[in-house]
Amino acid sequence: MNRWVAALRLTGVGFFIAACILIGTFTGLWLDGKLNTEPLFMIGGLLVGLVVAIYGVYRMIRPLMGNKQDKENG
Amino acid sequence: MAERKRGCLGCSFPILIIIAVVFLALFVIGFLAGPIGQNMIGDVGLPDWMKVPSPEPHLPAPELFSVFGLPITNTILASWITVIVLVVISYVVTRRMKIVPSRLQTIFEALLGWLFDLCKSIAGDKNARRFYPVIATIFLYVLFNAWLSLVPGFGSIELIEHKPIPENAHIEIIPAEGDKPEHKVVLVDHKEYEIINVDGKEMIEVRHELIRGANTDVNTPLALAFISFFFVAYFGLKSLGIGWLRQYFNFGPFFRSFGNIFKGKFDFMGVFAGVIEIIVGFLELLSRFITVISFTFRLFGNMTAGEILLLITAFLIPWILALPFYGLELLIGAIQAFIFAGLTLVFVTMAVTPHEGEAY
Repeated sequence: MNRWVAALRLTGVGFFIAACILIGTFTGLWLDGKLNTEPLFMIGGLLVGLVVAIYGVYRMIRPLMGNKQDKENG
Repeated sequence: MAERKRGCLGCSFPILIIIAVVFLALFVIGFLAGPIGQNMIGDVGLPDWMKVPSPEPHLPAPELFSVFGLPITNTILASWITVIVLVVISYVVTRRMKIVPSRLQTIFEALLGWLFDLCKSIAGDKNARRFYPVIATIFLYVLFNAWLSLVPGFGSIELIEHKPIPENAHIEIIPAEGDKPEHKVVLVDHKEYEIINVDGKEMIEVRHELIRGANTDVNTPLALAFISFFFVAYFGLKSLGIGWLRQYFNFGPFFRSFGNIFKGKFDFMGVFAGVIEIIVGFLELLSRFITVISFTFRLFGNMTAGEILLLITAFLIPWILALPFYGLELLIGAIQAFIFAGLTLVFVTMAVTPHEGEAY
């Protein structure tokens, strides 16, 4: 595996998590303000943001985990 | 053989000592002129021009003038300068290419060669040739935006504009304090401006930087992130066709299982797996869009923080303290350019590889 790819993918992790959670929460807040449903959409947005963050990070590090397992098995 | 002179770093000891003394003297004077020294020791009677005014970082780029109704901000000016510098450099470097290269040619051959090798090692031989122009452009543009903003003149030349006081603005009178006589200030758009007298009229004085590093305006990183996004989408669609979109809108398995119900085969697990596929596709789509945001704010945040750090260090102890941070900013500019170009390369390589795992 190319070590640059691993390094570059991992530089994105922190910003990705922050962006997911912030965008989810603020979209929820904005929707709450429009629809007067506080805090329903904020919590919903936060949860969606967290799920996307976890899924995205899993996608980013899956290839790295896969390679390690291959090495151990082989 | 000539006798080797004693010394260090290519200088003889007397010159090194002179340089050290000059640095130390500048440091001491800078310390006395800066706010830390002023607070600790008090005013030692330094002339006014030595005292540094407190820095005012601005986030939105001010509009300098407009061309056909299109606002031209100071960051746009900076990005034009970057483009001109890049064009001039490429002209100078490629004008007389030699087998035995000149110094400048060597530097750029090494830089671009390294970038091309990186492209080849990530994207493979064939794809590297297709992606290289865009990747190298992004790299050089971000790098030169960052490095040129460290050149004196960027952020230090000010345009002073006199504007009439807006109506209904709240004017406050500040009583005289110390050397400063009584003066009036006005709050416009959450910013305080001093009211001055110009030709008998009361005006506010607005100061803009003439040019400011293009990366410190959120619009430049956002535009670059969109370019990167569409570049990935274009090559993804071109290489895999509709198959590329299937990873985002994967309704196939769901409708197949759903269709089977009407044929009399009730496949609950199939329908469930189909729903999961749709949700995964949706998450994938969301994470693609969020990548644009994270690209934007990583570059914007790092560059703006660097600019503010330099302003603050140059304010606290003028002249000397900012020097190491200039070195740090050179490094950060290079790292950010590398990350931006490299991540685009990784994403586009993933987009053209049929089974994503093979990209690694």
